[in-house]
Amino acid sequence: MHVFQLFINGHSLNSIEAVDTLLKICRENLNGNYQLEIIDIQKDPDKAEEAGIIAIPTLIRMEPAPVNRIIGALNVRSRVLAGLGISSMHK
Amino acid sequence: MNLQKLETGNASFDHISHGGLPLGRTTLVAGSSGSAKTLFAAQFLALGIQLFNQSGVFVTFEEQVDDIRKHLRSFQWDIDTWENEGKWVFVDAAPKEEIIIAVGDFDLSAFRIRLERAVMKCRAQRVVIDSIGSIFTQFHEETHAIRRELIQVALTLSRLGATSIITAERLEEYGNITRFGVEEFLTDNVVILRNVLHNEKRRRTIEILKFRGSDHEKGENPFTINPDKAIVIIPLSAMNLKHVSSNERVTSGIPVLDEMIDGGFYKGSINLVSGAIGAGKTLLVANFINGIREKKERCLLMAFEESTEQLYRNASGWGIDFKQLEDEGLLKVISVYPEISSLEDHFINIQEVVKTFKPHRIAIDSLSALSRASSDKGFREFIIAFTSYLKHQEITALFTSNTPLLAGGTSDTEGNISPITDTIILLRYVEMSGEMQRSIAVLKMRGSKHDSAIRKFTISGEGAHIGKHFEGISGILTGNPMLIKLE
Repeated sequence: MHVFQLFINGHSLNSIEAVDTLLKICRENLNGNYQLEIIDIQKDPDKAEEAGIIAIPTLIRMEPAPVNRIIGALNVRSRVLAGLGISSMHK
Repeated sequence: MNLQKLETGNASFDHISHGGLPLGRTTLVAGSSGSAKTLFAAQFLALGIQLFNQSGVFVTFEEQVDDIRKHLRSFQWDIDTWENEGKWVFVDAAPKEEIIIAVGDFDLSAFRIRLERAVMKCRAQRVVIDSIGSIFTQFHEETHAIRRELIQVALTLSRLGATSIITAERLEEYGNITRFGVEEFLTDNVVILRNVLHNEKRRRTIEILKFRGSDHEKGENPFTINPDKAIVIIPLSAMNLKHVSSNERVTSGIPVLDEMIDGGFYKGSINLVSGAIGAGKTLLVANFINGIREKKERCLLMAFEESTEQLYRNASGWGIDFKQLEDEGLLKVISVYPEISSLEDHFINIQEVVKTFKPHRIAIDSLSALSRASSDKGFREFIIAFTSYLKHQEITALFTSNTPLLAGGTSDTEGNISPITDTIILLRYVEMSGEMQRSIAVLKMRGSKHDSAIRKFTISGEGAHIGKHFEGISGILTGNPMLIKLE
C-alpha cells in the first residue's frame, strides 16, 4: 500500500502538472492500491504549517517507510517512480 | 529626506543607527558563522515584545525551533509565555530529517503563504528570517530557482509592511557581503557583524554599511554579548566632546600635590599617574581615595593587580583605613583579573556599578594590567569610550600605568591614553650616589598652571611625603641623572 500527500497551491502551473503526473503514475503503476490526499495550501494552510511545507508542489511519501519528500512539478517520470519507491515490477 | 525608523529597543544600536531600523523595510544582517546574527535578530523581536508590546514572527531556515527556544531562555527571555500569548510566532522552515529530492520546477509559495499567515495572526510589526543562506543549502541544486523565489519573499515582506531582519552568512570578515549574493536583491539596508581574531583575541564589531535614504554612524563599533542584556554596542563613532568642563577642584588627598597642581584635580577630569613598579602609584591612588572623606564623596576602585585584602593591608600601612570608608558606604572596591572578560565586558560592568553606586571618583589600578585583556586597537577604543563616558558622568578619574624601565621611559599604555588625559603625574626613580630615590613631577595639566619642579618623594608609615625639588640634578626623566655644578 502506498500512501501519499501532495501539497499544491490552487491552480498554479506546477501544481496542475504535478497532480496530472501523479494521478497518471498511480493509475498505471499502482493498480488502485494507494491512498492519495491532495492538499491545497490556499484552502488548508494549517496542514502545510504542520508538515513544514516550504516549496510547492511537495509530494510526501508516507508509506512505505521511510518517509521522503519530492518537490517540483514531477516532470521526470523515472525519477518520480524511484522517489516513490515504485519499482518497475508494479507495471 | 530622512526615512522613518523603528526604535529597536537596544539603546546602543538605536544610538549608532540614529533611531533604529528603517520602518517597514527589510534590513540584511550579514556575518560570518558565530558572529551573533541569530542573537541580534532574536533580540530585535524580544525587545519589541518587552518594551513596545509589538509582536514578532521568527522564521528559522537553519536551527531547529526547540534549540532556538533554549537559546532564548538562556537570556532570560520568556519565550514560552510570549508564544502562549501569541506575541512570538515561529515559522519552522528548518531542514527536516526526511530526504528531499527535487524533480522539476517549484516555487516557495507555501513558505510565503505561511509567513503571511503568521504575520497576520499575531499582527506582527517585526519579522526575522534566519538565515536566508540555509535555504540555498537545503535546495542546493536549485540555486537559480531559490534566488528567483527569494525576490518574491522580499516583495511579500515589503507588502506586509513589517520591519524585518534577514540574516545571511558570509565566508570572510572582509570580502563579499554574503555567501550566496543575497545582497543582490536585498540591497537597501545592510548591517555587518564581525568576529575578528587578532593576536589571539576575538573582537566583535557591528557596522551599518548602508541605510538607503537615511543617515547613521559609519564604521565599526565594538560590541559584546552580555548574559543580561544580550548584544550591547559600545558606540565609538558616536562619541562627542560636548561634555561640560568644571572649574571646581577636588583634592588629590595630598596637600602638597594639590599645591603642585594649583589646588587639586578638576572635577570630572581624567588623570594619569605613570611610574615604574614600586614607585608609589598605588599610594597616590590610596590618597586619592582618602580624599573623599572631606566631602563624603563616593569612590569606586577597580583593582586589576591586587586583591582587596592586599589593598586594605597596604593602605593601612600608609595610615589609610579603607575598611572604614567601605563600611560608611563611601568606597567600593572591585578587584578582578583583567583576563576574566573582554574589555567591552569590563566597560559594561563598570557602567552598571556606576549606575547603582553613583561614585564621584573612580580609580583604576592599573590600566596597564587592563590593557592585557585586549588588542592595541581595542584598548585604544576602550580608553576613548571609557573616558568620554566618565566625562559625561562628571566623574573624576585617576588611572595608573606602569613604565617598563625603573628610571625614565614611558609605556605603550601611556601612548594610548596621554592625549586624552587632563593631568599626567610622573613618578620616577632617581639613582643618586648609590641610592634609589623617588621623584614626583607634574608633566602636564590642562587648563591650569602647575608646578614644573621635579620633587623628592618619600614613602613612610605616615604615607606619602613630597619634598623639595632636586636641586642641581638634570636628566631624571631620561633615566640618566647627573649632578650639575651650580654657579
